[in-house]
Parts: sequence; C-alpha cells; structure tokens
Amino acid sequence: MRIGFYMKLAANGMKKNGKFYIPYLLTCICTIAMCYIVSALSVSPTLAAMRGGEMLISLLKLGVWVIIIFSVLLLSYTNSFLRKKRTREFGLYNILGMDKRNIGLILFFETMIMAFLSLFFGLLAGILLLKLAELLLVNMLHADVTYTLIVSWSSIRYTVILFLLIFLLNLLRNLFRITVSRPVELLHSESFGEKPPRANFLIGLLGVLILGGAYYLAVSIEDPISATVWFFVAVCMVIIGTYLLFISGSVVFLKLLQKNKRYYYKPNHFISVSSMAFRMKRNGAGLASICILATMVLVMIASSSCLFFGEEDSLKERHSRDFSITVQERLSYGTMAPEITASIAKKAEDVMLLHNAQASDLLTYSYLNISCVLDGSALPSDFEESYLQTQNNFSGICQLYFFSLDDYNRMMDTDYTLNTYEMFLYKKGGRNYAYQELTLPGQTTYHLKAALKSFFDVEDTNSYIGSTYFIVVPDLEAVRSLLPEDYSTFLWYYGFRTPLSAEEQNTMIHDMEVDLSGIFTENSLNAMLRVESVEDDRTDFLAAYGGLFFLGILLSVAFILAAVLIIYFKQISEGYEDKSRFAIMQKVGLTDREIRRSINSQLLTVFFLPLLFAGLHLCFAFPLIKKILLLFGFLNNRLFILTTLISFAAFAVFYTVIYRMTSNAYYDIVRGPRENR
Amino acid sequence: MSILEVKGVKKVYTTRFGNNKVEALKNVNFQVEKGEYVAIMGESGSGKTTLLNILAALDRPTGGSVFLDGRNLSDIRESDMAAFRRDELGFVFQDFNLLDTFPVEDNIYLPLVLAGKSYNEMKVRLAPIAEKLGITSLLKKYPYEISGGQKQRVAVARALITGPKLILADEPTGALDSKATDELLSLFNEVNATGQTILMVTHSIKAASHAGRVLFIKDGEVFHQIYRGQDSFSAQYQKISDTLTLLQQTGGERA
Repeated sequence: MRIGFYMKLAANGMKKNGKFYIPYLLTCICTIAMCYIVSALSVSPTLAAMRGGEMLISLLKLGVWVIIIFSVLLLSYTNSFLRKKRTREFGLYNILGMDKRNIGLILFFETMIMAFLSLFFGLLAGILLLKLAELLLVNMLHADVTYTLIVSWSSIRYTVILFLLIFLLNLLRNLFRITVSRPVELLHSESFGEKPPRANFLIGLLGVLILGGAYYLAVSIEDPISATVWFFVAVCMVIIGTYLLFISGSVVFLKLLQKNKRYYYKPNHFISVSSMAFRMKRNGAGLASICILATMVLVMIASSSCLFFGEEDSLKERHSRDFSITVQERLSYGTMAPEITASIAKKAEDVMLLHNAQASDLLTYSYLNISCVLDGSALPSDFEESYLQTQNNFSGICQLYFFSLDDYNRMMDTDYTLNTYEMFLYKKGGRNYAYQELTLPGQTTYHLKAALKSFFDVEDTNSYIGSTYFIVVPDLEAVRSLLPEDYSTFLWYYGFRTPLSAEEQNTMIHDMEVDLSGIFTENSLNAMLRVESVEDDRTDFLAAYGGLFFLGILLSVAFILAAVLIIYFKQISEGYEDKSRFAIMQKVGLTDREIRRSINSQLLTVFFLPLLFAGLHLCFAFPLIKKILLLFGFLNNRLFILTTLISFAAFAVFYTVIYRMTSNAYYDIVRGPRENR
Repeated sequence: MSILEVKGVKKVYTTRFGNNKVEALKNVNFQVEKGEYVAIMGESGSGKTTLLNILAALDRPTGGSVFLDGRNLSDIRESDMAAFRRDELGFVFQDFNLLDTFPVEDNIYLPLVLAGKSYNEMKVRLAPIAEKLGITSLLKKYPYEISGGQKQRVAVARALITGPKLILADEPTGALDSKATDELLSLFNEVNATGQTILMVTHSIKAASHAGRVLFIKDGEVFHQIYRGQDSFSAQYQKISDTLTLLQQTGGERA
C-alpha cells in the first residue's frame, strides 16, 4: 500500500518533469541501443568470416569498452542535471515531513521506472536498427551476401546488466547527495552557481598530460594488433583526457573572458558568458561528450568509406594481372619441382587457347619466402624461437623473398650476372637493409652485389608488416636446400592480362581448376592451388568493403544520434534553467533580438571547440588508422586524406545545422509566451 | 509639468474559453508631476497590477492612452519597447528579480550593458549609487549570499543606474521584514528628494504613508487621492487607514 504510494509519487514526479525526463530517457535509450548494436556486432559470426573480420571484431570489442566508459560519463552528466532539477522538490517533501528514507524510496522507484523504460525501448531500437541494416545491406549489395545479424541474447544480457549497474551508480550518487545535504540547501540548490572544481589547475594539467600521453601512444604504436592493449589504453586516455581538459579548460576560458571587461560587458556576450560560467562543469562535460562522439563518427566514416571507395586500388594492389594461377606449398612438402610448374604452365596455356584468352603481358616467377627476426645479417639459428618472436614483435619481422636471377632478367628484360655467392637486394618496404651480406643456415653467406632500384610486380606481399626484402640469387634451388623447411614456403605464379568478359573469365577459372587439379592428383601434389581473376575478386571485395562501409554508416548514425540527443538535452535543459532569468531580463529591457544575439554569441564561443578537438584527435589517430587500414590491404594515402576531409566537412555542416535547430528550441523556451498584445 | 499622464485607460480581459469579459480597468485618469512620489493603493483584484503593467509597457490598454514625458506609449513600436523600458523606466519588484548567474555588480550593470554602455562609464555611474545605497561592500557577492533587504537595495540600484524618468515599484516591501522595510522606505524618500519620480504600487499602508500622494483604486477606477503635504508619516498613516476603512464601508460610493 505504502509502496504503491511512493511509486505513484515517483511516476507523477517524472510525468510532471516530463520536459526534463523525456530528453533524459531518449539519451538513455540511444546509449543503450548504441551499446547493444556494437556488442551484438562484436559477436557476429558473419562479421568474423569477412576479410579482416578478426581485426574488426577485436576493434568492436574495444568499441564496447569505449562505449561503456562513454555511457558512464554521459549518463552521470545528464543525471547530475536532473538531480539538480529535482532536489528542490525533494527539499520541499523533506520540509513537509517526509524523511530521507522515504525520499530515497521515491528515487529508487524513479530509477526503476527509468531503467525499465530505457532498457526496453533501447534494446528494441538496437535490435530493429540492426535488422533494418541487414535488410538494407542485402538489398544494396545484391551480391550473395548472407548478412544475418541474429538477435544476440548474450549481448542483450550484457547490455541489461551493464546499464542496470550504471543506473545503480547514479541512484547511489543521488541518494548520497540527498543524505548529506540539509533541507534548506535542497530547497535553494537551484540558485547556487557551480563552483569551479578544487585544484582546477591540476585537473587541467592532468587532462593535458593524459591527452598528450594518448597522442604519443597513438603515434608510436607500430602495430595495432600486437599492441591491442595499448591501443585500447590510448582510446580510453583520449576520452578521459578530453573530459578533464574540457571541464577545467572551460572554467579557465570563461574566467578569462569575464576578466576581459571590454569583451564581457557587451550585450551579446554578457548573458551568454555568465550563464556558461554558472554551469561551467556541466558545460565542459557536455562539450567533451560531443567532441568524443564526433571523433568516433569521423574515424568510422572516414576509414570505412575510404576502404569502400578505394576498392579498385586494393584490387590493383592485390592483382598485378587480370588472371592468375598461384601454387604454394610449404618447403617441407618438397613436391614442387621446376618440371611440375612447367607442366602446370603448359596445361594452363592449353586451357587459355581453348577459351581464346588472348593472353598478353605474361608474368611468371617463383619465389621462396621466409619471415623471421634477423640476427644481424644472419638468419637465426633457432627457428623455433625466432618464430615465437615474430608473434609479438611485428615491427622487427623481416620478410625475405628469394628470386632466381633468371626470373628477374626475364621479367625485367635485363642481363645482370651474379657469381655463386652473390645477391641483389630490393627493399620493398620497411627499413633499409643495413648489411653487405646475408648469411643463411649452414654458414652460407651471400654478398650484396648491388641494391636494385626496381622490381617487377609481385602479388600479395605483406609489405606493411615489418621490413620486406626481395633478394635475387643465381640459383634458387641452392637456397631452397638451405632454408628451414618448416618455416619457408615456395610459390609459383603465372599471370596475364585478358580482354575476356567477367563471365568468360569465370568459366575459364572453372575449367582451369578442373584441369589443373588433374595434374595435382596425377602427381599426388600437396600444394595449394589458386586460380583467380580480378573480375571474380571484385565481387568479393565489394561485398566485404560494402559491408564494412555499411557498418561504418550504421555505427555513425547511432553515434550521431547520441550526439544530437546530447546537444538537444543540453539546449532544452539549459533553456528551462534560463527561462526565469530571461524573463527577468526581458522586464529589465532585453529585446528579442538581443536574446538571439546572445544565443549566437554562446554558439560562437563554444560551438567550434568540440569540432576543433575532434579534428585534433583525428590528426593523431591518423597514423594508427592508416596502419589498421593496411591490414585490410589498403594503401592509398591520398584517398584516405580526402575521405577524412570530406567526412569532417560534412560533419561540420551537419553539426551546425543541428546546433541551429536546437538553439531555436532553446530560443523558444527562454523567450517565453508572446506578450498579450 | 507632468511626466506621466494616464487618460481614460481601460483594460478588458477575455477569458480563454468563454466569451466572459472581465473589466480590470474601467476608466483610469491621473497625472504624475516630475519629482513626485506617488503610491497607488487598492485591494487585491482592484486592478493595481494591470495598471502597473500598462504603465510599464508590458501590456497595452484596451482603450485610453498613457503619455510618458509627452510621448504616447501606444506609438512606440513593439521592437523598440524593450529598449524604451530599459532607457526610460526603472523597475523594483516584490521578489527582487536579481539573476543568480551574476554577482551583485553585474546585476546592477545589466540594463547599461544591454544599452551598450562602455565598462568605464558603467563604473563611474555605479560608484555614487552604490555608496548612497550602502551596497559598496556587496558588489562582488552573489545574490544568494546576501539578505532580502540587501537584495532589494541592489534592485533599487539597478533601477536607478540608467537615470530613468520614472521608477515603477511593485510592492517593493512585500518580501521584506519590518526593519528592512523601514530602511527601504527611507531610501525611497532620499532618492525622491534628489528629484527622482517614483510610482509605487502597494497595499501596505506603511509604505504608502511615505509617498507624497496616495491614489486609491477600486473597481478599476481611481477612487480617491490624498496628499501628505507637511504631515508626518504617522499622521499620513492614520489618514490612509481611515480612508481605507471608509472605502470599505461605503462599498463603492464616492467619498
């Protein structure tokens, strides 16, 4: 019975304060939906199966953490505002004879109602949005994408638990606030301005240090996978640093503005600066949230769109010829003798003739490949250990590709010569080779005759991890016998250009696979055979990158929605707070035009800050994102810069529009009803 | 020369839903001379607040006109209205209407800032006023840190600083204790002595007894007026009290 009474009080209180609770509810719903979407994606098996999927999944897993941290900060910010709004009412209850336990009960029920509503609608929104995304994606890329994003129960459970904890945390903070303060304080709490945080300077310094540290980490991380933990730490540090810096920075900034009499005592600055200073901490927190969301949106849109639009480049990078046959095996299998590759080539030519392939620009070569951490100029003696090292020292890895002089001279149309223990070296990527020789196991040392300036196209070499060297030796078979069999691979490549259509190429792929498999079974070969065409691969690429692009847009929409809500919440809540002040000022002689101008001044003072810092964050994230993109096989820097700039510009425009619209809402609130004339 | 002239002012409110018309002011006529200190008295519902809103240009009369310094208020365009209020009128409200966001000093500056005055000019204007009102030591404090009487003095300072033609005070002592009331009323007399015209709406006999002239409003009309002349405050107090009693007894007939 009594319980019912308190529940009713709680519900009524929320209804009466609907104009504050509804934006709060929307904010909660949006954060919950965002959290669910990211968490559900991070366990999606479809995503894991995509090219670069593992990387994506691990990024999304980090993303869940980022969203958690963000949600805690955001919801405690909005909650602190609501608390301030309600304390007056609670003070009144307190004075009318309700003890603090009763008030606690009301607060508890309020939180329960809020948690229930927001979790219900938030999860619903998240599930629907994902489903919608799936349908759109399948329609958009009518390729055979089976993008089934099933409802993830584990993610639902996870989101529910997480947000219940956040709500509990806020409830505890509210209860604490109620218990420590006296009724009279509760009654008047609204008219007290926020005091600058104690040790504001230290907080600001801490913010700068954390942010600086994060920037340093972001720039110095060599490989995002091997340094996943540090990557995550950097992201968290950026978030925390941004909050600290914005909160203390805005205090300092506003104090400075107030000290500057000539600026401060102007009609349009006077009101805006003072009301911002009045709620400086909240202002800072709100701006920081906007800044972080903006950064996330920009990172996602810029990177996923450049993958999508850079699809042709990636294809070119991956395929030096339209059509290719690749045979690859571990050295220890030892089945790939030169005669075999010759017979495969012969068979391939037959099939090509049959299909009238009109092959041109033929490219064929073999290489031996080993990746290891070099011991000076020598291959390590203990490969077991070296192999383990490569697992956590990506930047130290050397990729060595051995080619025969014959192949090189043939492909490059040169007539270089080498003595038995001489070599040429071509740096494909990474550090310069610092030595004049290379020692292979068995104390065989090759001396560097000359560094090569150019090399023919070699497909699919991971030139972005560690250092990659192409080494030309007189006799490939001699090297083959020296390399550790279990850690080296042999590859034979045969590629050409052809004017055939995508369909004709597909039938040729099929015939080629059938005929070549024949040779494989005949000779009981263990090697891996790949027959590929650019046309065939293009569909795969489009599906994969289209999916990524879509994912980027989906997440961006969720994040932008959250940002819009924060801005809206900020404007509405501040509008209701300022309403009575503007009413007084109107009596004293503030015109409608001056209200407009004061709002504009506020906009100009703080509007660009989040955008500015989002841009700065983006600059420092740039090298890191580039490295991640490389893992997807993307190398086009210019395109990435372009998509980043376009995303930034588009976001800036969007942000301006939103700010304009919400500041109209603010204006309508503070101006009050039209006078009765 | 009269600074304020109210001629046949009428105000009719229409209720929101029905066609019920409420006549708040029937026919109000009076003049205020420059340098006068006039109190308007009346019971709740007599139309005091409506009249004040019309004088403050916050509301427009249904009929009749109001001239401030020879200028008809209804001739002023709506967009100039706020600026007009700011420059020509000073307000003192019952609930002070100070802004929490500003320290006392900035609260007083507010109308000047809105008028686009320079900081130096504002400072020069503030010093003597703050001195006179005894709030110099409060200037850096915030409204929630000072007492009600102090707040009202700050509000008076804000009203005075623009050098208005007329100060409109709406129940200025309504939220004050008796000591603060006395202080404020003697302050008003001092301000008036410097030539400042004051028009005060009140139902406090004590407050009204400090004014040079008291107008009584009843049923939307000016019913009666008495001058203080050379009488002491207490003699005037008695006169007002008697008049009010009479007003109630006659129940609408002219005394």
